[in-house]
Amino acid sequence: MTTLASAPEQTATAPAATPTRTRRRGARKVTSAGPLTHVLLVLTAFLSVFPLYWTAVAASKTNAELAGTPPPFLPDADLFTNIGRAMEEAPIGLAIVNSVIVAGCITVGTVLCSTLAGFAFAKLRFRGNKTLLGLVIGTMMVPTQLAIIPLFILIAQLQWVDHLQAVVLPTLVSAFGVFFMRQFLSQALPDELLEAARVDGASTMRTFWSVVVPVARPAMAVLAMLTFLTAWNDFFWPIIALTSENPTVQVALAGLGGGYVPDTAVIMAGTLVGTLPVLVVFVVLGKQIVGGIMQGAVKG
Amino acid sequence: MATVTFDSATRIYPKSDRPAVDGLDLQIGDGEFLVLVGPSGCGKSTSLRMLAGLEEIDAGSIRIGDRDVTDAPPKDRDIAMVFQNYALYPHMTVEQNMGFALKIAGVPKSEIATRVAEAAKILDLEDYLGRRPKALSGGQRQRVAMGRAIVRSPQVFLMDEPLSNLDAKLRVQTRTQIAALQRRLGVTTVYVTHDQVEAMTMGDRVAVLKDGLLQQCDTPGTLYERPANTFVAGFIGSPAMNVITGPVVDGGVRLAGAVLPVPRERLLRAAGDGGRVTVGFRPEAVELAPEGVPVVVNVVEQLGSDAFLYATLGASDDGDVLHTADLVVRTEPRSAPAVGETVHLRVREGGLHVFDPVSQQRID
Repeated sequence: MTTLASAPEQTATAPAATPTRTRRRGARKVTSAGPLTHVLLVLTAFLSVFPLYWTAVAASKTNAELAGTPPPFLPDADLFTNIGRAMEEAPIGLAIVNSVIVAGCITVGTVLCSTLAGFAFAKLRFRGNKTLLGLVIGTMMVPTQLAIIPLFILIAQLQWVDHLQAVVLPTLVSAFGVFFMRQFLSQALPDELLEAARVDGASTMRTFWSVVVPVARPAMAVLAMLTFLTAWNDFFWPIIALTSENPTVQVALAGLGGGYVPDTAVIMAGTLVGTLPVLVVFVVLGKQIVGGIMQGAVKG
Repeated sequence: MATVTFDSATRIYPKSDRPAVDGLDLQIGDGEFLVLVGPSGCGKSTSLRMLAGLEEIDAGSIRIGDRDVTDAPPKDRDIAMVFQNYALYPHMTVEQNMGFALKIAGVPKSEIATRVAEAAKILDLEDYLGRRPKALSGGQRQRVAMGRAIVRSPQVFLMDEPLSNLDAKLRVQTRTQIAALQRRLGVTTVYVTHDQVEAMTMGDRVAVLKDGLLQQCDTPGTLYERPANTFVAGFIGSPAMNVITGPVVDGGVRLAGAVLPVPRERLLRAAGDGGRVTVGFRPEAVELAPEGVPVVVNVVEQLGSDAFLYATLGASDDGDVLHTADLVVRTEPRSAPAVGETVHLRVREGGLHVFDPVSQQRID
C-alpha cells in the first residue's frame, strides 16, 4: 500500500518540475548576454557618453590647461566661472527661452499637421491621393539651401527678420513627418476601427481626435522627439533669419569665444548649458518614446 | 425596429467591370433574422456594407422602414454593426467602448451608464466594464462588440461574420446566444457568414449569393428541401448534395450503365438540350441496394452514428463516358462496405432533385 501511495506522487511531481526548469533555461537564453556582448555594450555606451563628458571637462578648464599634453580628463572647479563668462558674452538665457519656444512650436505644429495629413493619406479616399503624396515626398529631395534666398526675401518683405515666427513658420510641417505618420497609420490603424466610429456617429474630426490620435500616440511621440531635436539643433536658417540680439541657442553659441584665439572653454560651457534642456526632455520622455517604438514594432 | 428593402441595389467597385452586388432585390421583415451566405467574393459583405452606408450604391436603392437611406451617411441610418474583428477601440475600457456612440449622440451621462449596465448584464460583462479590450478573451471581446450594438437600441443590427475569429466550441455556444438574444430583443438583423451551418441554424430566412447575384432567399428548410439551382443545392447541406449530369433514357437518366428513375414530366421539361439532364440527391437520400447505380468506394468515414462513403461513379458500359463523378453516401456505420468494393445505389422516394443542364435551374 505504501509503495502504491508514494509512487504516483513521484510521477506527479516529476513532470511538473521538468517544464519549469526548461522554461527557466529558455528564459535565461533570451535575457542573458555573454561577456563579449557586455564588453561591446560598455564600449558603445562609453563612446556615446564621452563627447558629453569631454564637453563638461573642457567647460571646467582654462584654454591653457586644455592645450596641455596629456589633455585633462577630470573636471575642475572652474565650470561655473566659465558658464558665467559664456552668459556674459552671449544672451544664452534668452537663447534657451527662444529655442524652447521655436522647437516647441515647430514640434507641436509638425506632429499635429503630420498626423492629420498622414491620416488623410493613409485612410481617406479622395481623388489625387497618390499624386499628392508623391508630391509631398518629392519635396524631401529638394535641398534646403535652394529655398533659402526666396524664403529670406519673403520674410524680409513681411518684416519678420529677427522675429521668432521667421524660424517657426517655414518648418511647421515636414514631408518626412507626413510620410512617417502615413506609414504608421496605414499599418497600425485598422479600417474597421474607423468604420466602427462612422457607424457610431462620429464625424471625421471626432474620429481623428477620439480614435486616430490615441492609436497614433507612440508614433507621435517619436516624431515629436525627432522634430524637437532637429529644431533645437538647427543652425543654418536661424543664423540667417535671426541676429545675435534675439538668437536661438545655436545662433548664440556661434557668437561665443570669438577673438584672435577661440576660447574653447567658454564655447564648451555655453554648449553644455545649451544641451541641458534637450537632455532633460530625453530623460523625461525617453522611456515613453522607447516604449512607443517597441509598441509600434509589435503591432506593425 | 423596421423592415429593410434592397431595391435592385448594385455596387460596382472602381476599376472593376463586374458588379460586386448586381441588382439585389431583398425584403427583410420587421424583427426578422436574415442571413446572407455564400462563398468568398459573392458580395455578401458588400451588401451588408451598402446597408450600413460604408459602401456607395451605384444603382437602385435601399430603404429602412419607409425611409430611403441610399445616400444617407451611416450615422443617420439608425443601425449598429458588429465587425468580424470586433473593431473595439483599443484605448477605451469596455464601458467607454459600449457608451461611445451614445456619448457622441449627446445622451446624458447617467443614461449612458444605465444603458451600458443593462447591456453588460444581458451579456454577462459586468465584471469587465473597467478593462481594456487587450485584457479580454476572444469570446469576451465578441460580447463587447455585441454590447456596443445593443446599447444603441437601433432599428437594425448588422453583423459581419462575428463568430469567425472564435474557436469551434465557442462558436457553437455564441451562435445560440446570438440567435436567442435577437429573438429576445426582436431587432431586425442582417447577418453575414460563409458558414452554411451558421446560416441554417440562426436565420429565419437565408439569402444565398454567388458572384453578386441573389440565388435564393428562403427558410432554411426550403433551401434544403427545394434548392432553386445546382449552386444552392451544392452549397447548402454538409456533406454537399451529389449533382450529376447524364443522358436521358426511357424512364430516367443513365448513370454508369444503370438507369436512375426520374418522373416522366420532369424529364420532358429538362431534356430539351441534347437529351441530357442534371440530377441531384443528398447523401442521406440514397440507400445501398442489390441493383442500382454502381459506384466504387474510395474512402469510408466512420463518425459513430453514421458512416460516409466517398465513392466514384464509373463510366457507362455502352461507351457513353461520363465525367468521373465523386459521390458521398450516408450509410449505417455497422453495414458500411469496405474500401474498393463496388456497391449499388438507389435514391429514396422524394429524394431526387432535377435541374436543367444548361440553366442549372430546378425543375419540379
